[in-house]
Amino acid sequence: MKYIQTIKPLPGKAILKALGVALLSIVFVSFFSVASQAQTQVSGTVYDAETMETLPGVNIVIKGTSRGTSTNVDGYFTLRLNEGENILVFSFLGFQTKEVDVTGQSEITVELETVVGTLDELVVIGYGAVRKRDVTGSIGRVSSEDLGKVTSLNAEQSLQGKVSGVQITTTSGAPGASAAVRIRGVGTFNNSSPIYVVDGVIIDDISFLNPGDIESMEVLKDASATAIYGSRGANGVVLVQTRSGSGIGDRPQIFVSSESGIQQLEKKIDLLNGRQFAIIANEIRSGSYNNVDAVPDTDWQDEVFRTALIQNHQISVSGASERGDYYISLGYFQQEGIIESSEYERISLKLNNTYKISKDFKVGNNITVSPYTQRIAPNATFAVYRAQPVLEPFYDDGSYGVVFNVGNPLASIDFSNNYNRGVRAVGNVYAEGIIANTLLLKTSFGIDGAINRAENFTPAFTIFNPDGTASQQNNDFSDIFKGETYNYTWLWENTANYIQDFGKHSVNAVAGLTMQQTRSEIIRLSGENVIRDGEDFWYVLPSYIVDEANNINQLNSIFNGVDAGQYYNMISFLGRVVYSYDDKYTTTITMRRDGSSKFAEENRWGYFPSFALGWNIDREKFMEEVSFISNLKLRASWGIIGNEKITYYDRFSRVNSGLLAVFGSPDASYIAATYGKSGNEDLKWETTTQTDIGLEMTVFEGRLSAELDYYNRETDDILVELSTPGHLGNGQGQRIRYNAASVVNRGIEFSMGWEDNIGEVGYEIDVVGNTIHNEVLAIGGNSGIDSVLFGGALANGQLVTQSRVGLPIGAFYGYVTDGIFQNQAELDAYPHLSQADVGDLRFVDTNGDGRINGDDRTYIGSPTPDLVFGANFSLNFRNWDMSFDFQGQYGNEIFNGKNVVRPDPYNFEQHVWNRWTGEGTSNSEPRPSYGGYNFLPSDRFIQDGSYIRLRSLILGYSLPTSLLERLDIDRARFYIKATNLLTWAKYTGYTPEIGSGNVLSNGIDTGIYPIPRVISIGFNTTF
Amino acid sequence: MSTKKTILILSISLILISCEGFLDVRPQSELTQEAFPTSASDALQATNAVYSTLRSWHYHSGGFPVLDVMSDDGLKGSNPDDGSTSMAPFEDFSFAATQTGLDRWWNALYEGIRRANIVIEKVPEIEMDETLKTRYIAEARFLRGIYYFDLVRAFGGVPLVTTINPDLKLERSTAEEIYTLLEADLQFAIDNLPLKSEYSVDQLGRGTKGAAQALKARVHLFKGEFDEVETLSLAVINSNEYDLEDVFIDANGVNGEHGVESVFEIGAIASGSPEGNQYANTQGVRGTPNRGWGFNRPSMDLRATFETDDPRFEDTIIELGEVLDGITILGDGSTPDETRDEGGNLIEIESYNQKVWYPGTNTTTQWGHNRRLVRFADVLLMAAEALNENDQPVQALVYLNRVRERARQGDGSILPDIAETDKDLLRDIILHERRVELALEGHRFWDLVRTGRAPEVLGPLGFIEGKHEFFPIPQSEIDLSQGSLEQNDMW
Repeated sequence: MKYIQTIKPLPGKAILKALGVALLSIVFVSFFSVASQAQTQVSGTVYDAETMETLPGVNIVIKGTSRGTSTNVDGYFTLRLNEGENILVFSFLGFQTKEVDVTGQSEITVELETVVGTLDELVVIGYGAVRKRDVTGSIGRVSSEDLGKVTSLNAEQSLQGKVSGVQITTTSGAPGASAAVRIRGVGTFNNSSPIYVVDGVIIDDISFLNPGDIESMEVLKDASATAIYGSRGANGVVLVQTRSGSGIGDRPQIFVSSESGIQQLEKKIDLLNGRQFAIIANEIRSGSYNNVDAVPDTDWQDEVFRTALIQNHQISVSGASERGDYYISLGYFQQEGIIESSEYERISLKLNNTYKISKDFKVGNNITVSPYTQRIAPNATFAVYRAQPVLEPFYDDGSYGVVFNVGNPLASIDFSNNYNRGVRAVGNVYAEGIIANTLLLKTSFGIDGAINRAENFTPAFTIFNPDGTASQQNNDFSDIFKGETYNYTWLWENTANYIQDFGKHSVNAVAGLTMQQTRSEIIRLSGENVIRDGEDFWYVLPSYIVDEANNINQLNSIFNGVDAGQYYNMISFLGRVVYSYDDKYTTTITMRRDGSSKFAEENRWGYFPSFALGWNIDREKFMEEVSFISNLKLRASWGIIGNEKITYYDRFSRVNSGLLAVFGSPDASYIAATYGKSGNEDLKWETTTQTDIGLEMTVFEGRLSAELDYYNRETDDILVELSTPGHLGNGQGQRIRYNAASVVNRGIEFSMGWEDNIGEVGYEIDVVGNTIHNEVLAIGGNSGIDSVLFGGALANGQLVTQSRVGLPIGAFYGYVTDGIFQNQAELDAYPHLSQADVGDLRFVDTNGDGRINGDDRTYIGSPTPDLVFGANFSLNFRNWDMSFDFQGQYGNEIFNGKNVVRPDPYNFEQHVWNRWTGEGTSNSEPRPSYGGYNFLPSDRFIQDGSYIRLRSLILGYSLPTSLLERLDIDRARFYIKATNLLTWAKYTGYTPEIGSGNVLSNGIDTGIYPIPRVISIGFNTTF
Repeated sequence: MSTKKTILILSISLILISCEGFLDVRPQSELTQEAFPTSASDALQATNAVYSTLRSWHYHSGGFPVLDVMSDDGLKGSNPDDGSTSMAPFEDFSFAATQTGLDRWWNALYEGIRRANIVIEKVPEIEMDETLKTRYIAEARFLRGIYYFDLVRAFGGVPLVTTINPDLKLERSTAEEIYTLLEADLQFAIDNLPLKSEYSVDQLGRGTKGAAQALKARVHLFKGEFDEVETLSLAVINSNEYDLEDVFIDANGVNGEHGVESVFEIGAIASGSPEGNQYANTQGVRGTPNRGWGFNRPSMDLRATFETDDPRFEDTIIELGEVLDGITILGDGSTPDETRDEGGNLIEIESYNQKVWYPGTNTTTQWGHNRRLVRFADVLLMAAEALNENDQPVQALVYLNRVRERARQGDGSILPDIAETDKDLLRDIILHERRVELALEGHRFWDLVRTGRAPEVLGPLGFIEGKHEFFPIPQSEIDLSQGSLEQNDMW
């Protein structure tokens, strides 16, 4: 009776192991060969001559060779020299190249002078880079160091609590689940996710990327920074730079890292035990249980949740020479779910190269290929929460016991074989040439291709009632489902960058033309009565799509179409000029013109301008005497950005030709077609107008840095799907898209860092945070119908959010409760719904019309936090390092939706034990019932969503230099790490982090897969 | 330098590519509305689609058999707690305008009306066989009449829509205006639809003249216009197109699908939603065999109302232990076999609606049940009622006794012929005959409302006079109308 399915091993797993062994043996071979040569060694530290700060990433080449290295984060380097090699060449962007004779020295100090006129490092912005001093936009940065701080599949998890203005919410703890990323609040009713630009390729998500392959992530927030992405940038832009070959020299750098850990449920929900449940059940319906002391007591949470493994390994090789550089990486990530039958496995291959064809011309590629396997368990969280503790998981004979109404979750998990397997390939090839040292021409052709194969097999099974009859949990015939989704995008970008200084004037400009085509196709097949249950038979044969009992074709067993969100073309023209005068004043002017196939010809083109000013106050004469301030900048920007994340056919009124009518004797079906819902030809771009004022400063010789921004984002003409009156005949639940809403988000963002040391203990404190005021300014407009958008559908169809003018998006609404009807006199004295009785909740007549009805439902909470924050502390002492990263939010509410949907007798949360049992016994917990009146959506189900979480705690130890030298290893660090170790929250669910991809359903806990706590150990080494 | 030139040339040539063509992306695999319907084949498909709504789950009073549950014939059913929000509020009349299901029902009916309007508005422009064209339009108007009748009977005056793209904001028309439209629609159907016998056997289930007459008779019956009921029902009877099935169970069962008693029925195939009808699945036996959710349980009151040994009792109610098509009905483990009140009186017996029983092997086979919207026994009883009201009791008895004769199956000891000619007494007898003959087929609640007996019969269940004769306009529609739709009285 029991079907145990294990994950289909990826063939790649074996390849990985083989490769790993091979690479390791290469490492050891080279280790011995290098060690046997006669050499001297020189090491040293490189400083900025002006500030005396250490300089990381400085290139060092042994003159006359192509060998060399680069400085580490502390500006430190070590290099082996063969006999006769005496001169080192130090070079670094923005500094004068310097040659140093090291004859007879083993430890040196090098100071590099800045190049006049090109002060500052370059900051990557869209389609180019500018000097940091010239940045006028609001940009947050996360380095590769922070990316490794949490154990997770996706790099966006690392942004949480690190960049002000960014809110990351995990939508599920299931392996492979994505996170909801929101930059500066929710400004639209549509997809609110930012876009990602991975090495220049614009894509929607980065789940395919191994975080270990990422060099840095930059979050572009204000209009000045994002306007160059025009219609794509309204929700913010995350620029992702993957690693490239580094160091100059013929010695490759080999990086190996490995991490393994265990995951556990962070906490359990406090539910009634068997005896308590039986007592309550008897109160609801007397005689349900004759002896409440003799009922079983099953803790379904213990039955279902397990300790699961997680592991992440990577090996990469990189190097650089005068002819080019390379970065080759292989990563393996595997995560079991804390619910059995769920798992995620990903292999990532990364290949980044540049080839210098001539002094002024180079070509390159950035390629990622990621095969993955995801196994999805049925949503057992809900079943665990609902299953009655008086039922046992197994009968005495070992077969699954019946669990009324929800099904036995162990059986559901056991019989589930639900997989997604696929490959995602993202990459680009590019060529760039420099003309006259000032003009850089670049053409890049990028692709994003994905194939996903879904496979779901359920064997025939029956769970029996104790009396031997079949329960509702059964499957008459085995079912097989196969789905294949194909997505393919190409993006061709052509840009010209011009950089020139004229005395005190400096110009940095870019112009470009890009084209994009996105295509998709979906094929789905399903059938039943598979000839055998084994995995070898999970294919859909023609005979399976025939219902043999009735000898008819199952017409919905085949589907073929496109993914409506992934089928469009775009053309864009872009331009930007950054002009600065005397390094004091900078202005940035940006314009993008986008054309999208999603809109009708008249509304097809959108113009997205932005304008920004920056003032480097510290460069002014009057600041010369203020020595403790090393950097002080004021900047302001304004701009308009667009959004077009809608399906490609929203504007078309389409014909629904998939219908059938049944006539005749015997019954036979005939094809039928009619109008589907109406489209809206007048659709146009949604626009976000954003204003930003920011202040940046660095004081006390770089120890304290701070940044403060005020932002105001107003989104208008929001593309929103509105319900239409039934009399239009579009059918139940059909909505039509209009440009018909406005939303504002405004707030303050701050980040502050302090870096210093006390004796040998170095420490760093970073605090980031932002406030969000989110408010709907208009809905409906002149074209729409709804003045209120309802959302947040619970499993029973009840809608518990409304978005209306003056309230936040997706605000919770329902009845306001005011205690409990203690006696008949109270019940008679107050207006109440006809279902209400003594012992039930008293709903407030909010509109004062003397009766209770749907109109009395009102605002009862907001899913949007007032404050999102992170606080990160790190310490280092000799070879030890330690960091604590906290993160949290304040001021939001959670709707405990799983507690509301109760069509059947389910178990209860512990608070029900304190129920009303007679006058004066309780004024908050009503008399028990399995559902109905007291479970109407009300503020009874609203809970405080504020929390602080110890997101990551890391203790690391780096091997001392003396030992490393003997082993010929550049760096080796071992660590122990805890992710989601502790959470302080009032919320009673598994986690206060309740995200949703749908902005109208945010903050509703409908029984999400718990986000586990991870304890892991790992090491990383560089050879 | 040649490489640089290449880049330059590439960039320039790109700029010269025509943009507009590249940005024209049409819907894939789907026609747009301006291109449909434009041919005879399109016209047929558009007409077929109007029928398709009849099989949508929502069409059947929002998915649940609420009309029987609101009457004295049906209890909620299923296990005691199932459907506590979707069904239970109808049992005790505690539902409000926000009740789920009402919106689904409303939307399904207007969806059907829109589909009909597409045919009525677009098909006349198509060049095709004129006879067929007229028939298609008549079929669409027939169905539009049905949908409007369901609306006006349930909600009273509703927005009147006769075009494909009506205004977004419409106020409620009066019930009289809706009746005027739907009666004209049904009359057009009567005048233009073929007789049932004129359709080939593979087209049964399309609207017929007889079906339109019978439905129009039902409309007039509801309004108490007995002259019209008499004329129309007698026309159906005298058309010689219909008769009673020999066996009562075939009137709703699989053997009588599109049979002689079927005046209008909704064809369905035992598979999922594209061809099936979930109506019977909603009420199917719960547990073993697993045929559905088990809603609409025969009430104790219904059990008691059958005359002694009326064979229809057994053919209306599935009892535990009964064997149907070789399958023993064991029922549901989470449903008590018997439920008693505090006084120990039996108030519910686990049992199911046999009118929707469909032979087969699993839950989806229930989807093959052809719901009879009008059957000949109903027409006979409408005729009987109208004739009695029109002071022709002797003729009324002919039709009444024809129904009873079939029911008694040749057993002279039961269900004697009725000889009562007192108008008031006969009225009660006919109403009772309707109750037992048409039990659990969705008629009883409206019969009680139209005869004014609902307050008396249903009052103990929660029915409030002056309120529950109509359903409330779904709150979601009131909200969407932004003030242009007014709620019914007392809601």
